[in-house]
Amino acid sequence: MEFLPLLIGSVAFAVFAVRAVRLLHAALWLAGVSILISLMLYRLGAWEIAIIELSVGAGLVTVLFVFAIAVIGDEAVSVRSLTPKSLAAALTAAVLILLCLFLFPLPVEENPTVQVETTFAVSFWQDRVLDALLQVMLIFAGVLGVMGLLDDPKPRVAASSAAQAENTAPHDEESIADSHLEEERV
Amino acid sequence: MTETLLLIGILALFGVGLYGMMILHNFIKLVIALQILTKTAVLAFVIAGEMNGQIQLGQSLALTVIVADTMVAVVGLALAVQVRRHFGTLDIRALSTLKR
Amino acid sequence: MAGLLVLLTILAPWGGAASVLLAGDQRHKTQQIAAVLCSVIAAFAALLLLAFTVTTPSVEYAIGGVFGTFTFIPDGLGTFLAAVATTIGSLTVIFSLDYMHGEHQLGRYYALVLLFIGAMCGLVLSGNLLLLFIFWEMTALCSYALISFHNDDPKAVAGGIKALVITQIGGVGLLVGILAAYTQLGTLDINMLIANAGSLPADALTITAFGFLIAAAAKSAQVPFHTWLPGAMEAPTPVSALIHAATMVNAGVYLLARFYPAFAAVPGWTSAVLIVGMISALFGALMALSTHDLKRALAYSTISQLGFMVYAIGAGGIFASQFHLLNHAVFKALLFLGAGAVIHTMGTRDMRRMGGLSRAMPFVRNVFVIGGLALAGVPFFNGFWSKELILEAGLETAVWSFVVMLITAGLTALYTLRMIWLVFFGEAHAAFPAHDAPNFMRIALGMLAIGVLGIWLLAGAFGHLLESTLPYHESVLHVDSTADMISALIAAPATWLTLAVIGVGFALWVLRERLTAFTNSLAPLMRAAAADFGFEWLNRRIVIAAQSAAVNLRKTQTGQLNWNIVGIVTGLVAVLLVLMVGR
Repeated sequence: MEFLPLLIGSVAFAVFAVRAVRLLHAALWLAGVSILISLMLYRLGAWEIAIIELSVGAGLVTVLFVFAIAVIGDEAVSVRSLTPKSLAAALTAAVLILLCLFLFPLPVEENPTVQVETTFAVSFWQDRVLDALLQVMLIFAGVLGVMGLLDDPKPRVAASSAAQAENTAPHDEESIADSHLEEERV
Repeated sequence: MTETLLLIGILALFGVGLYGMMILHNFIKLVIALQILTKTAVLAFVIAGEMNGQIQLGQSLALTVIVADTMVAVVGLALAVQVRRHFGTLDIRALSTLKR
Repeated sequence: MAGLLVLLTILAPWGGAASVLLAGDQRHKTQQIAAVLCSVIAAFAALLLLAFTVTTPSVEYAIGGVFGTFTFIPDGLGTFLAAVATTIGSLTVIFSLDYMHGEHQLGRYYALVLLFIGAMCGLVLSGNLLLLFIFWEMTALCSYALISFHNDDPKAVAGGIKALVITQIGGVGLLVGILAAYTQLGTLDINMLIANAGSLPADALTITAFGFLIAAAAKSAQVPFHTWLPGAMEAPTPVSALIHAATMVNAGVYLLARFYPAFAAVPGWTSAVLIVGMISALFGALMALSTHDLKRALAYSTISQLGFMVYAIGAGGIFASQFHLLNHAVFKALLFLGAGAVIHTMGTRDMRRMGGLSRAMPFVRNVFVIGGLALAGVPFFNGFWSKELILEAGLETAVWSFVVMLITAGLTALYTLRMIWLVFFGEAHAAFPAHDAPNFMRIALGMLAIGVLGIWLLAGAFGHLLESTLPYHESVLHVDSTADMISALIAAPATWLTLAVIGVGFALWVLRERLTAFTNSLAPLMRAAAADFGFEWLNRRIVIAAQSAAVNLRKTQTGQLNWNIVGIVTGLVAVLLVLMVGR
């Protein structure tokens, strides 16, 4: 029951984030969702993940959102959507109903077979090394993405050579990525 | 009971994200809806790990999802910035130039 | 020690690639020095590694429960191919110093070549199927990028895309084969697969065997996937020499040789390999005879020679195929680089516009003739010995295929002489700035020519190397010393028969003026060969069909993200419904 307020809060925040008219508000509601989710993760015993979600999901990503919105300006969003809302609602409902049919009723297992547990760090660094490699590559892709974020619109040739020559931008972002890695190791 | 509650909550969050992805047409709001979806996935991985008794595996995968999710946000935002610069708007309707 | 050398072989070229890129195109000299230095270091490491071959992994990285362990096993087969790749790679880089002089964006060129060398070494040294697949795709990617190096030339871009698409078909075959083996075996270890192949269910093993055969045929440009190799000749000539003659195209042969003990028992597999190799050898030789483009002639000849190697594997002659691989890598690299020197001077690839170059380029002529004689299979050049071994293996297995290969050997002599004649002798057709090859080119050409003349003396040692480090291949690798090989070949009647056929091939060219009736009767065959025996037409039909399908599908694309997401969610609903039914 302790999760009920957190769940209701996170769903409400998510709805607000989707419905918000101003982008900045939407980003802040999203940060709220992230915070509540990390609280839930903490209550579930996944402390490391909770901390990472809080610092990266609620912190870094929100900073990035705010930064991007500051760069390109807050644009008022018209409400009219491309796809009929009824269609979207129907599809969403269909997916949710089907998933419910799959999930419930939950299999009754009094004693789930608990593995001989090691710590999270041991499990991660020993059994999932490939994941770690994948994450390094993802972070590298993210660094390239941020370079795109900071890239000024210039003539195409100049822009590509600037991307090669630009040393300051990647450095900043690498340090972000590094600190990010640090956080993962917690 | 707790698990049922959590799963229902996850499904609700998932539905909000999915619905948002289908109706929103501002690039940044799309990225936000995608973020909601993936945060749900993080939570779902951890809960599934608890339920299966493979707690550490669930958490490891959740960590990977967080990293992937963050990078998706970064790249999505970078795209949004470039779209805004090239098309002068964040409306995704401007992006269907290949069709024209 | 072996572990260190393995890492050096793979990482030195990659380090070179990184440093070339970081140096930037403004600093030509630094780039060139870095490229040459790193490739030469890799070559020395790989050659040194030959002394440290083992059968167990010397480098291991545990990467968690799912994918097993990433291992590198420097056994005889892998190490020798790594040595070929790095040695010819470094010679190619040296050759490129002259050949690519004055081109733009050389950083991209050298970086890709070095990346390729490292990936090729990783491919042959890795002991894990997933790792093998990753390196396999890396080499395909480098090949694509280097074919399209002149990316303002539409022909180069088209050739690159064609190569990429066709080799990807092979990549899919490899992946399917790996997955079929993995689902049954639960491990990605190569030696585990070879050791336990007999205990796999027959259908899974069949899928794996033929998946690997498709992969090998696509990579090694065998019929029906050979059409990409002529198109790949748009690449700078050193790249053609390295990737499309000496190394990457051998990866398919390597794959077949490596897994031969596992698949030999699969019904129909060896005969499929035999027939693919035989048809490729014959068609390649005929097509080489019909083209006027010097590089394309060499490319078709590569298809033909790779056909010989594949044929040898089908016939069970693993040593013969690998020995021919080694010899072919050396003499074909020499021929390509020699052709590169000619093209560099002449500015054209059309043999009809060459001729009479003999006096202007004596050095290039000498090395080119040496390479050509090896290709034709003239005694005491390296190609002769391995070709004889292959034919002998064929004779033991299937006599009808031996006859076809014998004809192919005659055709090889014919097209080789035709090529040499058109380029260096005959009458001159163009005024050209006559100068022989510059110094760096001479270094590379000279070393390869020495290799062509002398490398076959190492046959015994090479066989011993393979035999002592490949426990699973023991039954198919019977190797004697070089002297025994020579005396056995001289004693065999097949050798003399082959020599006679090769002589006939030469004679046909010499007497071509008097044999007009005969040549005219062959004209339809030559026309078919010039048209690629219809495979090019088939390719085009497939491309056109795919494109029209794409045009029709285009109607379903609104180009608006929301509708795309609606499509994805509909797909999710469909998947869930299917799962629901299946429950």
